[in-house]
Amino acid sequence: MLTNVFTKTTRDRWKGMAIGVVSLAALFFFAMSVYRDIDLSVYTNLPEVFRTLMDIPKDADVGSLAYGAIFGSYGTLTIAAVTVSMGSSSIAGEERKGTIGLLLGNPKSRVSVLSSKAASLVLLLGLGSLALWGAGLGSAAILGVETGGMHVGALVFHMFAISAFFGFLAMAIGAWTGSPGMASGVTAGVMFISFVGAGLFPIIKGWENVTKVFPWYYFNGSKPVTNGVDWGHIAVLFAGIVVFVVAALVGVTRRDLKSQAVGVTLLDRLRGNPLTHNVIDRLAGSARVSRIWVKTASEHQGLLFVTAALMFFMMGVMIGPMYGFIDEAMVGLMDNFPEVLLALFGGGDMGTPEGWYQIESFGMMAPIAVMVVTVAIGARALAGEEQHRTMGLLLANPVKRSTIIYQKTFAMALYGLAVGFSTFAGVAIGSLLGGLGMNVGNIAATSLLVTLVGLVFGAFAVALSAATGRVNVAVYGTVGVALILYVLNALLPFNDRLVGYAKVSPFYYYLTSDPLMNGMNWNHGAVLTVLTIMLIVLSVILFQRRDLRQSG
Amino acid sequence: MATSAAIVAEGLTKHYGNVRALIDLDLSVERGEIFGFLGPNGAGKTTMIRTILDEIRPTSGRASIVGLDSHADAVEIRHHIGYVPGDLALYPNLTGHDTLTYFANLRGGVDWPYVDTLADRLDADLSKKVGDLSSGNRQKVGLIQAFMNKPEVLIMDEPSSGLDPLVQREFQALLREVIADSSTVFLSSHTLSEVQRVADRVGIIRHGKLIAVEAVASLRSKGIRTVELFFDSPVDAAVFEPLPGVGDVTVQNHHVTLSFSGQMETLLRVVTERYTLLDISTQEADLEEIFLTYYRDDVNEVVA
Repeated sequence: MLTNVFTKTTRDRWKGMAIGVVSLAALFFFAMSVYRDIDLSVYTNLPEVFRTLMDIPKDADVGSLAYGAIFGSYGTLTIAAVTVSMGSSSIAGEERKGTIGLLLGNPKSRVSVLSSKAASLVLLLGLGSLALWGAGLGSAAILGVETGGMHVGALVFHMFAISAFFGFLAMAIGAWTGSPGMASGVTAGVMFISFVGAGLFPIIKGWENVTKVFPWYYFNGSKPVTNGVDWGHIAVLFAGIVVFVVAALVGVTRRDLKSQAVGVTLLDRLRGNPLTHNVIDRLAGSARVSRIWVKTASEHQGLLFVTAALMFFMMGVMIGPMYGFIDEAMVGLMDNFPEVLLALFGGGDMGTPEGWYQIESFGMMAPIAVMVVTVAIGARALAGEEQHRTMGLLLANPVKRSTIIYQKTFAMALYGLAVGFSTFAGVAIGSLLGGLGMNVGNIAATSLLVTLVGLVFGAFAVALSAATGRVNVAVYGTVGVALILYVLNALLPFNDRLVGYAKVSPFYYYLTSDPLMNGMNWNHGAVLTVLTIMLIVLSVILFQRRDLRQSG
Repeated sequence: MATSAAIVAEGLTKHYGNVRALIDLDLSVERGEIFGFLGPNGAGKTTMIRTILDEIRPTSGRASIVGLDSHADAVEIRHHIGYVPGDLALYPNLTGHDTLTYFANLRGGVDWPYVDTLADRLDADLSKKVGDLSSGNRQKVGLIQAFMNKPEVLIMDEPSSGLDPLVQREFQALLREVIADSSTVFLSSHTLSEVQRVADRVGIIRHGKLIAVEAVASLRSKGIRTVELFFDSPVDAAVFEPLPGVGDVTVQNHHVTLSFSGQMETLLRVVTERYTLLDISTQEADLEEIFLTYYRDDVNEVVA
């Protein structure tokens, strides 16, 4: 192992992990203090299947609810995402930056470089997990919440294992392909499907065992916070990690290293094929560089395609027919559900098709999907060109700085709408296939509102991008703010004194009016639109005043 | 407007926090000339260019290009200029041809036959993705991009970096042609020989200050030469140093190298009185020696 590569990687990367851990610790403290004030008798009436789905143990108490809500879902997703970002850029990141040649110009082997980066990943993930463990126990102590009988350490250990699993998967893909985008994209996709699948199949009668194909099952399938470490499950995850590490080491050794990462898109392949060359060249060759917004859009076509397809098939078409298979215990019991609890899961009522779709698709996944696309485009809009040092050249042409913002925002809005539309189409078809008879206008209204929420955060990313010229600040800043605002909107209604403050969160204007049941709330739509416009105007002001950055 | 200078800077100053990157820079580049902007790395060449292009804003002072204010008329200015940034970066996923199409579309079209001519002369491959090109070949795409709109003013920051000597020569020929078509070229470089070969005037910048602006011809006429003398026996440096017009004396046994300005006869008379001269060779000094000779004090003062 190379101490200096290890040290440099750790130094470059600790901030991402630290930001993730600190925001999660703060969220956790907030969640626990909110849960502390709730009447817990609410949970004793929950049907078992619902508790399983939401990861709430039978003898639910403040502690396990908070650990389940924050560490069980957002927390692990966040920590895993940071780990994936480290894993995917291990070798591939150096190739993209063009620094790999310099690094390997020293008398060190590829294997030793990759091992050092792997060690740094394990160290940071380990430290992050320990810090979250401390925050989990510390918050409980400060708030006077009883955590006896709960295995916080076991939960955090499982979190460590699943995060490392995905991190090393990303490292292996990066080592084989040399493309950090491919590594993080594919891993994020697998993680997303796994997260959804592990939550969905346990409640489908006869399909419970399918859950075991999803890695996420080995994270919380055994309910580690209640039952302690499940060594069998941990062994499965660690076996996967070993396979990925070996694959990464083999992959990086046998491959030609890239001097500069140039992605080959589907269009490029079609353009290179003599049969399709002429048509594609006419369509895509000069067309995709015809305007700034077209070029921006073409750069993100892969991301849009994957996200829109996931929303259409997985979260739309497939969810509808599944409704008929939900455990019957679910249906009919919904009257007993307290309003406040349902609010946490997006206000869905599982006894109705609308509530089912709200819990499965619209509550969390749809806003994430739209935001993945809008924030990716928004954050790179200006800062991406600055970090790649192409902004100077672009601005040597007779275009205003504001024009660049407007064109890139237009591409972002178009793609946001495309994700919203594919969600709408998927849900409408799913409702048809499942014979659910949902109102198509209401599905459209909800899809439009989720698109508008996505655009607010996309515009926020543009503003951060305009203000700082740094992609990372724009991405992490937006994700952090969105996470906090999401949880605020979900949890503030629990507290009578603070309920009014939920209105500061854009998410309030998305599902609070229950658009799947009540149709479009134009006032809420207007609030989100005005917010987006204001953020874009702010971006123009910020960008016009600023010196362009010279390099990354 | 046609009579205004191509580029004017008045008291241009740029501070980054405590770092003074440009200090009170006054400069006027006339139309139809090639102006060489010389300075070592980090002297402020790129900062000056980025300031007049409105990429960054001056702390004080102002600049104009073809009579238009560099900030207020920034967009209008860009109709009149071609620009090659230093340390050029392009979009790696686009081919050279796509790249040029993109920029052409932002300007509302381009003369494609002229682009083909340029690509031919610079031996550029426009069908490959820019990310797959070597840095020299990528630079060619950047050069074509700057030339292709036949701009009134070409602003180039280290334009020949990475180019092989043959392409450099073709590039210099192109520069002379566009000047003949009454364009103006502002050429920043740390390579003296390049500037010497093409520029009409040179400005030298160090530590953010413009030290001198001189016509290349008038510098040459100062007549500094490097003189090498070979004798039949070892010689003493002290004999040469006090002579008028002599500097930078190096003695290696029988062999003396010195820089000299003045009449050759005075030098020869003194040395032949003392020693037996076997051979002599003289050559015109390059700009570096001229600058070092004439501006040594300024340079030292600024460095100190």
